[in-house]
Parts: sequence; structure tokens; C-alpha cells
Amino acid sequence: MFAALRVLASRIRGWFSLRRVEEDFARELDSHLEMLMEENLRRGMPPEEARRAARVRLGGMTQLREAHRELHTLPFLDTLLQDIRYALRTLRKNPGFTTVAVLTLALGIAVNSTMFSLVSAFLLRRPPGREPERVAVVSAVNPNQVFHYDAFPVSAPTYLAWREANHVFADMAAADEYRTANLSAVGQPASAGRPATAGSPEAIPSAAVSPNYFSVLGVASQLGRTFADGEDQPGHDHVVILSHNLWEGRFGSDPSVVGRTTRLNRESYVIVGVMPADFRLLGFTPQLWTPLVLSAADQTAAARKDRSLHLFARLKPGVSITQARAEFAALAKRAEEGFAETEKGWGATVRTLPDFLIYNFEVRSGLAVMMAAVGFVLMIACANVAGLLLARATARRKELAIRLSLGASRPRIARQVLTESLLIALLGGSAGLLLAYWGIDFVRANMTFNEAISAVPLGLDWNVLLFALGVSLGSTVLSGLAPALTASRTDVHTNLKEESRAASAGRSHSRLRNALVASEIAAAMFLLIGAGLLIRGIYLIEHQNLGFRADHLLTASVTLDTARYKGPSEQTFFVRDVISKLQQIPSAEMVAAASDLPATGAGSVTLRIKGQPELPANGRLNARDAVVTIDYFQTAGIPLLRGRTFTETDNARAPRVIVVNQEFVHRYLQDQEPIGKQIRLDVIGAAPEWSEIVGVVGNVKAYSEETRDDPEVYEPFLQRPASSFALMLRASADPNNLASALRETVAQVDAELPLDRVMSMAVVIERQKGGDTFFVRVLGSFALLALILAAIGIYGLIAYSVGQRTHEIGIRMALGAGKSQVLRMVLGEGMKMAATGAAIGLVLALPLPKVFDAMFYGLHLRELRLYFLVPMAIFVVATLATYIPARRATRVDPMVALRYE
Amino acid sequence: MPDGKSEILQGTLDLMVLKTLETMGPLHGYGIARRIEQISEDALQINQGTIYASLVRLLQKGWISGAWGTSENNRKAKFYSITKAGRKQLAHEARSWERISGVIGRVLRIAERE
Repeated sequence: MFAALRVLASRIRGWFSLRRVEEDFARELDSHLEMLMEENLRRGMPPEEARRAARVRLGGMTQLREAHRELHTLPFLDTLLQDIRYALRTLRKNPGFTTVAVLTLALGIAVNSTMFSLVSAFLLRRPPGREPERVAVVSAVNPNQVFHYDAFPVSAPTYLAWREANHVFADMAAADEYRTANLSAVGQPASAGRPATAGSPEAIPSAAVSPNYFSVLGVASQLGRTFADGEDQPGHDHVVILSHNLWEGRFGSDPSVVGRTTRLNRESYVIVGVMPADFRLLGFTPQLWTPLVLSAADQTAAARKDRSLHLFARLKPGVSITQARAEFAALAKRAEEGFAETEKGWGATVRTLPDFLIYNFEVRSGLAVMMAAVGFVLMIACANVAGLLLARATARRKELAIRLSLGASRPRIARQVLTESLLIALLGGSAGLLLAYWGIDFVRANMTFNEAISAVPLGLDWNVLLFALGVSLGSTVLSGLAPALTASRTDVHTNLKEESRAASAGRSHSRLRNALVASEIAAAMFLLIGAGLLIRGIYLIEHQNLGFRADHLLTASVTLDTARYKGPSEQTFFVRDVISKLQQIPSAEMVAAASDLPATGAGSVTLRIKGQPELPANGRLNARDAVVTIDYFQTAGIPLLRGRTFTETDNARAPRVIVVNQEFVHRYLQDQEPIGKQIRLDVIGAAPEWSEIVGVVGNVKAYSEETRDDPEVYEPFLQRPASSFALMLRASADPNNLASALRETVAQVDAELPLDRVMSMAVVIERQKGGDTFFVRVLGSFALLALILAAIGIYGLIAYSVGQRTHEIGIRMALGAGKSQVLRMVLGEGMKMAATGAAIGLVLALPLPKVFDAMFYGLHLRELRLYFLVPMAIFVVATLATYIPARRATRVDPMVALRYE
Repeated sequence: MPDGKSEILQGTLDLMVLKTLETMGPLHGYGIARRIEQISEDALQINQGTIYASLVRLLQKGWISGAWGTSENNRKAKFYSITKAGRKQLAHEARSWERISGVIGRVLRIAERE
């Protein structure tokens, strides 16, 4: 063992000082030779003969030196260097080939690295904090099949009960991550004779968290401190922690900000800390944190219906997630028994923090599709390069045959081709990384459809670099292995013969070529069908009729805080005031307010229809429920089908009225006459009353990005005022022109009330699509890229093979074959390859609609036409790629072809 | 050196070189080759240059060491001497040989008797 190491060590040393070693040995040999000569001279030989005899006795000097050298080096390294030098020379001699090959691989590697940067940013980045895998997220499991039903937030009483009852967590924190805080600069409170002044109010996404939230996660603040115990009690709770973003943007990165007061929700809060820039939990993007205050009201049994808390907990040492899951399943059962009315059917589940973030923010499917798509692009690129290498090997088969006959070993030849492929891949990889750098910039600039997504930093990090390296090496194998093996199998005899030009490339060459063409076609087919399905599905959704007029509509979101708007009468007064003032704006045609904008996912209620039997709590009918002002339907352009909409007389003192949509009538009333029927809604926190249906309006899609129609009911604002709602203005011209007028008008009514998300309805819908347009565009470009690469590859391969057979074609034509016969022969072979590839690709693509249905919620894709269109397109491309070079070959004069070599 | 040379032959040559150096003390390449020729009574007719492969192997394994010096005729030559590790190896090999030859001898004698 040690001996072998010593030998290796001395070989490595020898490799470095090779020249000195060789010189040394040369001198030694010389000295040996001299001594032999002397002996011969002593024996009486004449000098000339003495020298000759000495040489013979010593042995061939060159051989000795060579053998000596070999003992001192690492032969493997030597041949590798030789191969690299040779490959470099070859690549330099064929600049055209090299450029095409390197660019092709560069494209493939670039798109893969760019997409992988997304994977790295979303899936591979560790959440912040100490040991995030030991942080668990407890969620409720909703018995109703709603979106993400098994990652549902939890109610406050549940949190408090579970915090005490569990044995698996060292500490448990709760967070309401989706609040909005009204932030204004410190202003002057109202005093006698002077109203309050404040800085410009801004609605900031915020979170209310229990004091141990940050310590459970294991993150420290950058400035100041995090919350202390007891700061969730009234009287001590006016403290706030800023996010790094907010501190930079709104407070000018002022290092002395800790200890200052600021005005939050119309009250004074003290800033106690600033979080570091890398504190980000994927899609949760609050800009500031306040303590979560749980009053007595929040702890009653009724409060169990309000589920808005996410629970974060740290596992005790030695406890596993499975144990935690089991314990909470049991705790949920106990809750069901204790509070059947609110907890019936509800379960609980526990996930690690990284798992929860990925699941909750849904990025896996989209990324999986993208990575698969670019994977295919890369495969096609590799196939192209493989084809190029193969074509080159075919061209050099005579030279290869000579080298083989001179003693080169077949593995050596294979290694050489592989080395060439490695160099191409490394060059392509570097170029690809450069392209990826720009690609990532482009992606970053365009992925701004979502605060959550754009908050995640995207860049060329180590993961991406390692990935690019891995992909380059993989491409080497993929593109170089087959040609290398084929080259090494070059038949010496047939290729050395004089008439070698008569023979087309060996059987293994053309088999490989056929396989390459078929696989490129299969990959292109699969990619095109998949992309086509997704693009078509998204197109359908984007262009569906939403049921209302989204054009010329300006919207804004308002939250009336309880500090100033204590109850329904204040809320009603505000809305009336604001709407009448807004109606004064010159180019505002109609104004309305609604609890939710159309097609943005209104909340749902369960209900009961008079005359129909009472259903159990879990099986009740449910419908979407929106609260709207008088002019809502006209403002939104929702057609009235029967009866009437709301008027001023439908106020708090009048009998309750309701408007339903067409789907409601169809699904729950079996299309019978709806007007006059009575409904009772189960609204949280209100006594149930019977309302009368007075009108039917057209359907509006529940979500702009889904195709389904849900039954919906509308209530008049005056009868059920809400504290947060959206304002809608129908403009005669561009709605964005009204934005400043809107702000001013609202400021007139309440200077400190922030207007959130002022944007046209078109932009709202655009934002709701999330990344869909971006996704589609990127996917579409990948598919197109793949098709172009495949077309180029196929054309190249077939053109080259036809070119090789020019000699053969010349003979056939000289022997009397007609042009069309030759054409048919070549075309036929090309079509056979294409057909095989197309069949494989088609079969692979059959299960795609089902796969997409599972991956993308709400997308129902049934597009049979694609399964005909894409094969046709590929057929056309393949035909052209075969026909053009074939035609060229037949045009050649047979005499020229015969002499062609 | 032709590739086909068997390892046994290599090993035997190495052993002979080692033994020569142990018996004769420090010697240069020519001297080692002459000595081996003498001992084998010229039965081993090899090119003298072949010992250099053995010398390199033995050097790499650390069983001999080499240094430039002056020969009897005032000629510069590289002298090789056996090291302690080399002596140990030699003793080890000698014992192996004795054991093997003893076994073979017994086998042959048995065969002879029958």
C-alpha cells in the first residue's frame, strides 16, 4: 500500500521535473556507453567497431529513453494533454463547425441555467433563521374542498389551546400575515380649532405576530430588538418593527430610527427594531410587524370561526415531524368533540417550514414545467452537436482507419472524440453562462407581477454555476458518447480500400444518424404539444368573457379603521359622502363601491332557501356573497336579467333584499321563478334574517383566471355596511386619468385614510393572472427555440448524409435511375425516420392533459386539435428538410457525382 | 521496453539488481549489468539497458538510492546503493524463495519416487 503511494508520489514529482530527469538519464546512458566502449577497446576492437558493439549491447537509446520517461510520468495525464491539444487544433481548423456546435450548446445551457436560477431562488434557498427544518408550521385542514384546503390558517382560540396542550414543541408562535397598516409620518394630533395634520398616508402590508415569533424562527434584528414578552398586552403593544425594505424606502435608512415614534393606524407607535434584508419567508411579504393582541373577544367559542393565524413552532430536540403530525391530528379530534359547531370536520397538519413555504406558494408545478421544457431544449441541442460530431467522424473515416491500422487503440480514438466534445461543451458552457447572465436580468425585470415573487432575489449564485458545469459535462456525454463509440468502431478494411468513396458511411454511422433524427423529432413533438396545450389553455382563460365590462374602470381599495369608523353608521356615512363627491368628478360617469371587485374571488356564505328542507351544517348550499352600492351593476356593466337592482329605499330600516345571479337560479332554484323567494344567509357575527330576492343579474366569473361560474348573491351596502371595500369609477376616457382626482376627493373626506392599490380594472385582472402571461411567453419561446434547433439539426443531418451519398446517387442515375426515383428513395428514408420520431413523441405526449390538470389548479385542457396540428407541422418541417438536399443531389450531373469524393 | 515482458521476469531482474547491490556495495549501471551477466554465466543475454527500468522501479519504491560520483577511471557515473528498506525487502524475498523452492523440491522428489 505504502509502496504504491511512494511510487505515485515520485511519478508526480517526476512529471513536474521531467526535463531534468531526462537530461540526467541521458548523461547516465552516455557514461554507460563510454564504459562499454572502453571494455571493447581493451578487448582489442577498433574504435569504430567498439562504439557500434557498445551501442548494440546497451540497447536502442531511443527506446530506453522512452521507457525511462514513461516510468516517470503519469501516462494518463500525458495522453489527456495530448488529446486536448489535438482537439484544440482540430476545432481551430474548422471554425465553422466549432462556432455552430458551441453556439448550439451555449443556447441550450443558457436557457437551462436561467431557469435553474429560478429553481435555486425558490426551491433551494433556505428560509432565514436558525435551523429552519426544525421549525414547523401547523395548519388547519378544511373539510370543504377549497384551494389549499390543507394549509388553512387557524383561529386564535385554537392557537391558544394548542399552544398549551402540545408536547412536541419547545415554543409556538402565531402570525396574522395578511394585515394592512395605515402608516403616516408623525404628524400633529388635532387640537382646538385645528384638525389633525399628517404625512401622506400609505397602506402597508403588515403582520401581527406573537412576541416569540422571531425567537421561534431564530432570527435577530439588524437594528434595535425584536418583541419582548408582554408586548402583546394592551398598553404595551404600540411597538413596531420595520422591514429592511421599508426602513430604506420610507425612513431613509436612518440608523437612529430606533426609539422614534411613528403614526400607525392613527395612533402613535414606537419603532423598536429593524429586520435584516435577508429576512423573507418566500411569499409572506409584510413590511412591518406589530404585536398580535388577543383580546377576550378573540378567545370566545364564536371567534373560532375567524381563521387567520399561521402557527410557527420549534420542535423539541429529538422530536420528528411525524410525531408532531400525529399529536396534532389527535388535538384536532379533541377540538371537534369540544366545539362541534365550528370544528366539525376540521383537521390539523404539520409541515416543516421549507415544505410549507414551497407548498403554500405553489411554485413547484410552474418551475417543474419550465425545467422540463428547457431540459428538452438542451437534449435537442445535444442531439444537434452529436450529429455534427458524427458527420465529422464520417468525413474523417479514412484518416481514422489509417490511424487504427498504424496502431492507435480504439478506446484512444473514442477518448479523442470525447475530448473534442468536452472542449465544445466547456466553451459552450462559458458562453451559455454569459447568455444566462443576461437571461436572468431579463427574467428579473419581467417577473414583477407579484410582490411576493419579485421580492425573491435572482442571480447567478453558486448553485447555478455548479449546475451549469454539471450540465456542460452531461452534454459532453450526451453529445459525444455515441459519435465517439461510432468513430472507434470504424471498420479498417472497408475504409482503407481504394473504392471507399463508393461506400456510404458504415452501418453504425447511419443507424446513429437515424436515431438522432428520430429522437430530435420526438423531443420537439413532445415539447410543442405540451407548450401548445398550456398556451391554448391560458389563452382561453385570458380571453374568456368575464361577465362584466372591465374596460374604463378605475378601482381603489379602502379599509376603514375602527379608530375613526366605529360602526355601521360611520361606515355608511363615509361611503355616501365619498360616492357623492366622486360623482362630481367631470369624467366619472358612474361610481360605486363593493366589498369585492368582480371576478376577484368574493367570500362565500352558506345559505338556506325558504321552502327547501334544512340541510346539515356541512352540506349547506353556499354561494359567493358581495355587498354593493346602488350603482354597482351599472358601473361594472353587469346586465340585469329579471326584476330590479338596489335603490335608496333598500336601507337599514327597510325589509332585507337580495339580488342573485343566473347560476344561482339555475343551480339552487332549478330555473324556477326566483323573484319573491326568500333566502337566509349565515353571516358571521350577524343574526340570521330572511331576505327577499328582487332581481337576477348575469353571471360573473368567480376568478378571472378560472372558467367556472359560481352561484352568487349581492346585498345592498346600506343593509350590510362593510369596513373594507373597493371603489369603482367608470371613466369616459382613460381611467388612469382619474387617479389623482380620486385621491384628492378621498383626502377631502378623510385626510389620513390611505387609498390602496389604485389601478384600472384591466391591471387588476392582469395582476391576478399571476405569472401566467410571463409563463406562457417564456414557454412559447422555448418551444419555438426547440423547434428551430430541431429543424436545423434535422436539416443538417439529412443534408449531410445526402451529400455523402452523392457518389452513390451519381452511380444510380448513370445506371438509369430517374430523378424522381432517386428523390423518392431519399425522401422515403427521411420520412421513415420522421414517422418513427413523431410516433414516439406523440405517445409520450398523450398523458399530458391529465398531468397538467393535476399540476395546475383550475386549468382544464382538452385540446384534441393540437394532436393533429403539431404532427402536421413537424411533418412539413421534416419533409422540407429532406426534400431540399435531396433535390439538390439529383440536380448534380452524374459525371460530376461519379468523380465526387 | 516491449509491453509483453512478463511481470515475473521484471520482478526477478529487480531482485537480482537488489542482491547485486547488497553484495557488491554501491555500483553504477554498467557495473551492475556486468555483474549480472557474470553471475548468470552469460545465460541471461539481455540488453544492458534493460536494467535501468529495474533501477527506476527500485528507486521509486525507495529500496535503493542513487547519487552521482566518480568511477575508478575518473569518469562521472551515477552510483546506486541499497537502502535499509531494500535490505529488508531482500531478506523477505529470500525467505519467500526458499519456502517456494522447498515446496517445489519436495513435490519433485515425491514425484521422482513414484
